[in-house]
Amino acid sequence: MRVVIAEDSAILREGLVQLLTDRGHEMCAAVADADALLAAVAAHRPDVAIVDIRMPPTHTDEGLRAAIDLRRNHPDTSVLVFSQYVETQYAARLLEQDAAGVGYLLKDRVADVAEFTDALQRVAGGGTALDPEVVRQLLGARGAVSGLAALTPREREVLALMAEGRSNAAIAAALFVSAGAVEKHVAAIFTKLGLEPSDTDNRRVLAVLQYLRG
Amino acid sequence: MDEMASDLTATGARSPAAVRRMAEAALRAPVCARTWREVLYWLASLPVSAPGFLVSLVLIAAGTGLTLTVAGAVLGVLLLAAGLGLARVAGEAQRALAGRLLGLRLPRLGRPQPGTGVLGRVEARFRDPTRWRAAGYLGLRFPLAFAGLWLMAVTWGYGLFFLTYPIWWTVAHRQATGPHPTHGLAPILTPFPAGGAHIGTLGEAFALLLPGIVVLLVAPWVTRGLTAADSWLLRRVLCGADLAGRVRQLEAARALAVDDAAARLRRVERDLHDGAQARLVALAMTLGMAREKLDPDARGADAERARELVDAAHASAKLAITELRDLARGLHPPVLDNGLPGALASLTAGSAVPVAAFVDVPERPTLAIEAMAYFCAAELIANVGKHSGADNATLEMRQHERRLRLRVFDDGHGGARTGRVGGLAGLAERIQTVDGSIEVDSPAGGPTTVVIELPMHA
Repeated sequence: MRVVIAEDSAILREGLVQLLTDRGHEMCAAVADADALLAAVAAHRPDVAIVDIRMPPTHTDEGLRAAIDLRRNHPDTSVLVFSQYVETQYAARLLEQDAAGVGYLLKDRVADVAEFTDALQRVAGGGTALDPEVVRQLLGARGAVSGLAALTPREREVLALMAEGRSNAAIAAALFVSAGAVEKHVAAIFTKLGLEPSDTDNRRVLAVLQYLRG
Repeated sequence: MDEMASDLTATGARSPAAVRRMAEAALRAPVCARTWREVLYWLASLPVSAPGFLVSLVLIAAGTGLTLTVAGAVLGVLLLAAGLGLARVAGEAQRALAGRLLGLRLPRLGRPQPGTGVLGRVEARFRDPTRWRAAGYLGLRFPLAFAGLWLMAVTWGYGLFFLTYPIWWTVAHRQATGPHPTHGLAPILTPFPAGGAHIGTLGEAFALLLPGIVVLLVAPWVTRGLTAADSWLLRRVLCGADLAGRVRQLEAARALAVDDAAARLRRVERDLHDGAQARLVALAMTLGMAREKLDPDARGADAERARELVDAAHASAKLAITELRDLARGLHPPVLDNGLPGALASLTAGSAVPVAAFVDVPERPTLAIEAMAYFCAAELIANVGKHSGADNATLEMRQHERRLRLRVFDDGHGGARTGRVGGLAGLAERIQTVDGSIEVDSPAGGPTTVVIELPMHA
């Protein structure tokens, strides 16, 4: 996997480079601000860019704007947005057009190296990775809506994992149930939410997000 | 005189120490800086208040008179307005003079909210209490200044004249008895207004030294009494009830305080985000990588790599601790818990440029003021180290009655400014939130002196 990193904290940037190099990924560039990120992506055409939301000069949402820009102008490069905080508003802006090849993770997730690299791989492959915290907040924000209220607790768990971008097999493993049981839950969720069942993870996430965005 | 009175009540009238202090104060009075500043104040105010009073009085009187005659009403109103405006200008000049020479802290005489339209503007001028108070002040001060300057001329003049009388006597005597004797007697040999004694010999002339000394010892107290009376007029009449002005000032201070608090929180968040938080994430990441290398069957290179990663994580954890500690100290330095003297001593001890510190703060200010005084000192000392290029610096913190005065001096190349941006501007804003003041004297080429005054209570 060919990766570009944009992160203004030197210590995190170097840590990420080390982590990904260790796992045999190719680091095209590691930069510290949004302009350098756009230039690096244009030059290297990587599979995925890891982008910190807060970068110089204003330390607000430079990274987010750059990520949206990248998705529009370089659709072949997936973007994993990486932040100290969860902002549902940022997530909504990021997912506004197309959730394919987009991820939004809390920086804490790098502690779990395997899960982090899985998520990165998923995003690079055109899938989606939303932080459980993002999903929790998105669900919480829309919790009062009818339909969602009709879900059983187990179905909510399945929906949350789906929203994170996981496949049925991964959901089954996470919940310690059979793949068949997950399929049943998914079908029930789609029925209760009034969505068409679909095979690919990506469309499921899109559907879920579309619902979450209202 | 106030200080002496409070000495007496504080330590008891018979206490030898108090008596000694009184005697010292009395003997030092003719030569102490305060006395000379007060004398200078009276001399300097003469060209300000006398013409100010006379001209504005004439304008106001003529204006009032003309206004009463229906024919000259328009001209009268204009003269009256001009007289009031002039009174405000003269009052403001007097206030500035008292601020500079007497250290009297009074709010500026603000302009009123301007009215709209010609009539509105004229009306606003007439309704402005500041102008009327300024006219009242000038009116009351005029007789005081008249009596005061006469009293001061008599006390200081005769005191100095008696003290130097032998010289005058000798000069006059030579002229009277020299090779070309002038006709008549030595001039002005009897300084007493009512004739008094005739001084015939040099011995008698020397005898006048004693009354000279007595008059000179009394003179500063006369000056001080007159100054106290004028200060009372300045405070009560000129600036007495400028409530609207005070409210505006407090509103501005409150706005600054609120903005400053928000900005400080933002800075803390930024520091946490960029510092300890990022470091802890990196730490967790390194530990995560190490854990992967430490599978039960790991050995050789993997175990070695895991040890390196744990070492890195360990170092990262220690740095995070340091950063958090620095951040916490920036919010409230624990060293302040024992008061300013110790805190400032450890502050100056850590400075790259050698700083001599003098701290004399008998009372403890409130916590907020203490913290602000400390941060001001820290900022100024940091500036000395960063920008001044100085070899030596001095830090003084003293309590002057109800105010805390911080003075930082350095022998660097000067050029410090309290502009719209930068450390000193931020400092000035924070100081304003508690009604403090900052003065920067830093000519190009140096040296630099910064004086900050804070109230003892926020």
